[in-house]
Amino acid sequence: MSSIKKVGGVIVSHGQVANELLAAAETVVGDLSHIVAVSIGWHDDVELAKNEISRAIKHVSQGIGVLVMTDMFGGTPTNISAMFLKENEVEIVTGVNLPMVLKLATDSQEMTLSELAKEVEEQGKQSIYHTGALLEPYKMKKDA
Amino acid sequence: MREGTVKVINPLGLHARAAAQLVRIAVGFKSEIILMRVDNRTIADAKSMLSVLTLAASIRTVLELNVVGEDEEPAFNAITKLFDNGFGEL
Repeated sequence: MSSIKKVGGVIVSHGQVANELLAAAETVVGDLSHIVAVSIGWHDDVELAKNEISRAIKHVSQGIGVLVMTDMFGGTPTNISAMFLKENEVEIVTGVNLPMVLKLATDSQEMTLSELAKEVEEQGKQSIYHTGALLEPYKMKKDA
Repeated sequence: MREGTVKVINPLGLHARAAAQLVRIAVGFKSEIILMRVDNRTIADAKSMLSVLTLAASIRTVLELNVVGEDEEPAFNAITKLFDNGFGEL
């Protein structure tokens, strides 16, 4: 569609969470060819998972960096991804949620990889609402 | 500047896919396009989906549409039409 280079994205999670997050994002905004998902099975070998992440990073890279979004800080998907950390090439943001994927999917501004990583991190945090508290005046009372 | 109000009339409100539709149209224009909830004055950039979602606009929510730029007239009309059509969900 356009020749503007995009920062690539790799979602890495335990189980099928990564695939489903990507599928949900694609349902909302359409095909996302610059983002892929890597699901690490609970019993997968570390070397196997490492190869898969490595392949995924190469696959989505357009030469301006790849943002890896993992499910949980301290978990295996994050720990394995951390082996690929490299300034201006690979950055990791943990605690991936749907708004973060959408942020990466829809961001059209030209940003460096580290700026984008910061934006995606902020978006993830800002998108969490204790909705009940937010809607306090409208909440239905149990005895109403 | 082109200003007016739009009303959410589709039952699901301004949900994720509807917001994505709105953004797809908005980014096609050069003008700055801002939406504001009339009731609580929450403001959103119509070119950012996540910003649009923070409006939490459900059915019957009235929004002020504010468009500024060289193509403000067609942009205003295209977005108004989208709301009037209930994002194609009616």
